[in-house]
Amino acid sequence: MMAQQLDAPRAAGPKAPLLSSRARRWLGNGLAYLVMTALAFIVMIPLFWMLSTSLKARWEIFAWPPQWIPETLHWENYREAFTKYPMGRFMLNSAFLVVVNVIGELLAVPLIAYGFARLRFPGRNVLFVLMLATMMIPGHIKLIPLFAIYHRLNMIDTYWPLVLPAFFGNPFFIFLMVQYIKTLPRDLDEAARMDGAGTWTILYRIILPLCKPPLTIILVYTFWWTWNEFLHPLIYLNSFDKFPVQVGLAFFKGRYSVEWNLFMAATLVSILPILILYFFVQRQLIGGIASVGLKG
Amino acid sequence: MFSTWREMSPRTRREAMEGYISIAPWLIGFLLFTLIPVLASVYYSFTQWSVTRPAEWIGFDNYTRMFTRDPLFWQALKVTFYYVLLSLPLKIIFGLGLALLLNLKIRGMNFYRTIFYIPAVISGVAVSLMWMWLLHPDTGVINALLAQIGIQGPAWFWDPQWALPSVALMNVWAVGGSAVIYLAGLQNIPPHLYEAAKIDGANMWRRFWRITLPLLTPILFFLLIVEMIDSFKVFTQAFVITKGGPLKATYFYLYYFYEEAFQNFNMGYASALAIILMLIILAATVVMNYLSKHWVYYESEQEKS
Amino acid sequence: MRKSMLFVTLLLSLIIVLAGCTAAPAGQQPAAEQPAGEEAAAAGEPVTIDWWTVNSEEYSEEVQKAMVAEFEASHPNIKVNMTVLPESGFSDKMTTALGAGQGAPDVAFFWDNNWFPEALDLTPYIEADPNFDPSMYFEGFWNTRAVWQDKVVGLPLGVGAQFVMYNKDVFDEAGVAYPGADWTTEDFITMSTQLMDPDVKRWGGDRPRRPFRAIWFNYGAHPYSDDSMTVDGYLNGPESVAAYTWLWDLVQSGSTPTPADIEVLGTEGTGPVDLFLAGRLAMATLNQGHMLNAVKAGANFGVVPEPQVEGHERYVNAWSLTSSIWKGTEHPDEAWTFLSWWVGPEGQKFLMENGNLFPSIPSVLEQYKDADQEYAQAFFDVLKLKQVSEWRIAHPCDGAVARAAGDVWDKIMLGDIERDQIQSELDAVVPAAQEALDECRDRLGG
Repeated sequence: MMAQQLDAPRAAGPKAPLLSSRARRWLGNGLAYLVMTALAFIVMIPLFWMLSTSLKARWEIFAWPPQWIPETLHWENYREAFTKYPMGRFMLNSAFLVVVNVIGELLAVPLIAYGFARLRFPGRNVLFVLMLATMMIPGHIKLIPLFAIYHRLNMIDTYWPLVLPAFFGNPFFIFLMVQYIKTLPRDLDEAARMDGAGTWTILYRIILPLCKPPLTIILVYTFWWTWNEFLHPLIYLNSFDKFPVQVGLAFFKGRYSVEWNLFMAATLVSILPILILYFFVQRQLIGGIASVGLKG
Repeated sequence: MFSTWREMSPRTRREAMEGYISIAPWLIGFLLFTLIPVLASVYYSFTQWSVTRPAEWIGFDNYTRMFTRDPLFWQALKVTFYYVLLSLPLKIIFGLGLALLLNLKIRGMNFYRTIFYIPAVISGVAVSLMWMWLLHPDTGVINALLAQIGIQGPAWFWDPQWALPSVALMNVWAVGGSAVIYLAGLQNIPPHLYEAAKIDGANMWRRFWRITLPLLTPILFFLLIVEMIDSFKVFTQAFVITKGGPLKATYFYLYYFYEEAFQNFNMGYASALAIILMLIILAATVVMNYLSKHWVYYESEQEKS
Repeated sequence: MRKSMLFVTLLLSLIIVLAGCTAAPAGQQPAAEQPAGEEAAAAGEPVTIDWWTVNSEEYSEEVQKAMVAEFEASHPNIKVNMTVLPESGFSDKMTTALGAGQGAPDVAFFWDNNWFPEALDLTPYIEADPNFDPSMYFEGFWNTRAVWQDKVVGLPLGVGAQFVMYNKDVFDEAGVAYPGADWTTEDFITMSTQLMDPDVKRWGGDRPRRPFRAIWFNYGAHPYSDDSMTVDGYLNGPESVAAYTWLWDLVQSGSTPTPADIEVLGTEGTGPVDLFLAGRLAMATLNQGHMLNAVKAGANFGVVPEPQVEGHERYVNAWSLTSSIWKGTEHPDEAWTFLSWWVGPEGQKFLMENGNLFPSIPSVLEQYKDADQEYAQAFFDVLKLKQVSEWRIAHPCDGAVARAAGDVWDKIMLGDIERDQIQSELDAVVPAAQEALDECRDRLGG
């Protein structure tokens, strides 16, 4: 099936290598490490600064000349950040929201995406474009009507407005999943159908096991987005005890000034859960069709 | 393709039913939580509505004002288009490049992947502050580094010429977020194709162009659309850092929209702005979707031809 | 196939359960919100009112919680359901709820003038309440923050103002005499230049953060005419040109931090207090909240009003937070009881003694613990000046007009224009500003 793509290179033929393949790989890896370490360093500079700010006394932050490493490390900033406001509580709230949102997306998205990607029904293309279009509406314009709807449903100051949409599938994920399913050979479906499998069996037994990478992305992104959500929780929640982590962080910005050291300390701690999750989950990105070793 | 329900064969009819069932969750959510707010916005776009005063029907006035008497609208449109054209290719190229790098099978890759993911997860204010500090004209690290190699760095966010590229740069930095999606796509390329190509003597460059890229097009298409929508909706940086300036160089469309809606209390006009933005993005998406037929390669569809 | 049907059934039942859960509280809620509240109160059942507030340096979450406890102790028939919000999100949340016409709190800050149409007119409550005397408040703040279009839309909580804080240590070191209350805008530039020291990255003074505040008014400049009809001759009138020219001179003196300096040092639009306290800015336009920060940090500083212009009346950019009852409240009487206690002498005194509030009631402010301090006295003097808000409250379009004229501001900040170009640059933005004014006046009046 890839014939048309692979015709060309044949003519060139392999050149005699200057180095043995092992040496070349060794060299290549070394180069890759070098490039990545350099890039990682650039990426990390701002983080060093955040860390350094979080360890300074408030009035040291703006001193001249700026210091990368404060003379005394104010580790107590971290304790203060977590006792001044119940950041632990806020993080737990966010964690709860994350779990429910992930469940919602994982239930809804594969089903919806499979319908758009594989099943034929009248109006499919129109509905698909409509779904894409919902991604284009500026979120702010929906705020007032949505607030009115959730208020009518008596959901203000509950977590419902923050988790319910997940069960209807995020268009971003649906679109991603559709694109991914479309890259899977249709032979798979056809073969299963020959064996008498129904539509849903094909989805849950054949397609879904191959979709580990996009499902992982859904997990990672839902975690990330839910964790960083500020506006919606702020609008829908009233109880201090229910606020998630981003609303909590905003408390460090006062009316007249910002406690930068505490703010940075709290911010740094608040991103740890996402990074830990990502570190462990990303190996799941390796999977999909490549791992099955399926021949086209 | 479809005539009427009656004329369908039982098999097609059943497939259609199953199709509706499968997309039902989305449809319900759409009707409840998207359609109503959007219809409300459409209605408000034909009114003069100051949020705390009753809305007043004014027909197409908001739209005529936008296109005939509002220089800010054109400025916002210009800036936003410029930004999309600048940042979209950058984000796609850097995202793909980073993903290819992170897809190498070498030791400690989990660690590197996590590091490159960090920029994406730090949100809002903290990241904006970091960038203001990095790009400060006199004391910023970037200009200090440039000075080392004899280049006088610009004033970045505070220079009308450079403010917009600075925002683009900032978003490229966070490209690790979308690299994840490329990675997933790369995983879906059957290794036997590479092996076959290697046997045929295709070098790395050729393998990339002949195998990786074509098989990645569905994901590439996805990211192109999503990043485009994202770029059209750029807001936070203008809100936190530049306040649309200097000289309205970063007066992004959504920033203007937000100013009108929540600071100027011109919700009717803001609704009209939102509708127009939606139509613009929709048009761009439709064009891209049309063009995609020429370059996006779907394994599942190719087989039938 | 059977399995798949099972799944679909599960999914549908999930949706139904979700819908069910939302319906359940819907059944309970209205019972509690019945307008029968007054009867309930009579029967001894307390009425709950919702109150939205922010967490700030003046009143932390704990202090306000304690205040509510004290209120509830003396008013057993009222329960206050307090929502503490971060400062940066309060406005969007209020605008959303007020725009939706539902779900807004009974009592809240109505600090944005555009929210006033949704505030309950308090006149009848004030007239009916023998214990409440509006003349206890600072007259200026009552006029600018409580009265709007002949209605009483709220009560003013606390007082705040902008003034110039100067670092005495830096003045001493540079051998410059401290500014007096009668200093002028020209003095400001002269001193700023003398105090600057590039070697230690120290600036003399800061630049104004927007036009048409105290300094512009000190020059007698208004963005448009008092009848809200005309921009020409005001925005580009001689007074305005003089104020913009002063800004140009200040920028060109090179003794002030640029927007890049101010923003990058993390002032987030609140004022360069951190820079001032780090000793890198000798004079800074700050407010009473910053002043308390400086006291806490042990800074050696003085307070003077923003510099004046000879031959013109002098203004202060001052504020008080309008605290109001939402029109849609179901318990206006209880809301009034709480509001008049919170913003009355008891509540403000509590917040002054336990927090950092400067009350808007002179008789309470006199009891401020550090009232005899030099800085406090200077701050109280600033409050006596005429307020910029007096003009602004009747002219809701100044923001829109200033935005239309924003390019002139930016060009001066960037050093893009010459001193003698200011007039023509202002002339050039008049049509756009007039358009903005006309559009805004149609909507918001004035």
